[in-house]
Amino acid sequence: MNNHQKLKDLLLDVFLIGESEYSLEISQEDIETWDSMGLVAMAVGIEETFGHHLTQEEALSIRKFQDIVDILSTKGMSFDD
Amino acid sequence: MSKILYASEVTTDIHRLDSAWEDPETFAFIPDKTGEVHGMIEAALAELPPPYRTGHFALLTSGSTGRPKLVFGSRDRSSSLARVLHAHQQSEEVNETVVVLPLTYCYSFVNQFLWARQHDRPLVLTKGLTRPDELKSALTAAKDSMICLVGAQVPLLSEYYDGSVFPGVIRVHFAGGRFPSERLEDLRRLFPNALIFNNYGCAEAMPRLTLRPADAAEETSHVGWPLPGIEIDSSPEGELLFRSPYGAVGQADDNGFRVIGPADWVATGDLGRQLDDGHVELLARSSEVFKRHGEKISIPVVLSSVSLAWRGPVSTYREVDGSGEDGYVLVISPHPGDGDVRKILLTLRNKHARSHWPLRIESIDELPFLPNGKIDVQELGEQVDLKQHWRQRI
Repeated sequence: MNNHQKLKDLLLDVFLIGESEYSLEISQEDIETWDSMGLVAMAVGIEETFGHHLTQEEALSIRKFQDIVDILSTKGMSFDD
Repeated sequence: MSKILYASEVTTDIHRLDSAWEDPETFAFIPDKTGEVHGMIEAALAELPPPYRTGHFALLTSGSTGRPKLVFGSRDRSSSLARVLHAHQQSEEVNETVVVLPLTYCYSFVNQFLWARQHDRPLVLTKGLTRPDELKSALTAAKDSMICLVGAQVPLLSEYYDGSVFPGVIRVHFAGGRFPSERLEDLRRLFPNALIFNNYGCAEAMPRLTLRPADAAEETSHVGWPLPGIEIDSSPEGELLFRSPYGAVGQADDNGFRVIGPADWVATGDLGRQLDDGHVELLARSSEVFKRHGEKISIPVVLSSVSLAWRGPVSTYREVDGSGEDGYVLVISPHPGDGDVRKILLTLRNKHARSHWPLRIESIDELPFLPNGKIDVQELGEQVDLKQHWRQRI
């Protein structure tokens, strides 16, 4: 499974969004379940799935799913596939 | 010393129960396997205060706390209740009753065994859903018959008897848990000639407090109107309380025997209230409401949402999460197909805030059941073949 798919699975699980709603451009305002607990769950999920512990600054800077891709890409993870 | 009558003795010879009822000596009628509480039962009967040594009977219940106890009923009171139920459940045209639940269960004992005795109607014993083929034969042969079920049995009935119709069953009663309103159409297909009743009570009420025809309301929280003579109240904490002329007169557990006096208000173990038109609204079992992240969580309310997305049996068991917050695990049965869990999750998202979501969703081939047809919640979390499908990551 490539990193894109892993991230998608994680975010569907954390925010309980449907496949058809998912897009990297989806933002915090679009997702009702992106609350403080959702943010914590997302951070835990990213650490479990990608082995990267988000700093507080990174976590708070995420406004849309593409931001996660950008952060993880700077850690050497490829989302080119 | 009072005597003990075991369920298996009655299964093979119903006259044993008739004889015990006719004998003035108080008796306990209990399941064959009572495990570690057997000593308590023997001690309670041996030390019974003199006024309770005759004219009474005792049944075993897990109680609202989950701690098993004996509840003692008066034979006169319970006989009166059987007569009241006959009138209010419109049972005059019922000619027999098919027993699907164990008779040691207070609901079945009063609503079927005592009712049949009082009104001279045949009692058709079966092994219930442990022998679906035998039960099917009994239901097929039924003529103007009444059955008593618990909600958890309905998915199994639908599965085992898909396509079957039992026109000879004319009364179907539910008690012992949430009324399965989402399965009403299935029930009507299986029992097209039956009046369906939702009954509410508890073992301490021996057992009936309220009832309503299924059609009287759509909300499962509406459990009907109290039977004549029964008083309902709520404690300041919202616990539903009752006083009943048919209720238990005493109870015994590890702490010994305790009299329940006629003036005593008794807790049902549920949260609820009586509304202006007299009907009782049930909010949840006391043990099924808890706080998580400061929010009040009601498991029955969540399960009601889950039933929109999953038609199989569901249950929950309680667990504390990694941060010490109370939570629960949702267990569905049987194992789901592709997309089923996602459907449940989307329903949860649309209806409830995150605090209300389960800690995990698991599935099991078959839920463990108690002999009385209820799901064995104590055992559920211990099952080795639980399969995890989703979890919260907090």
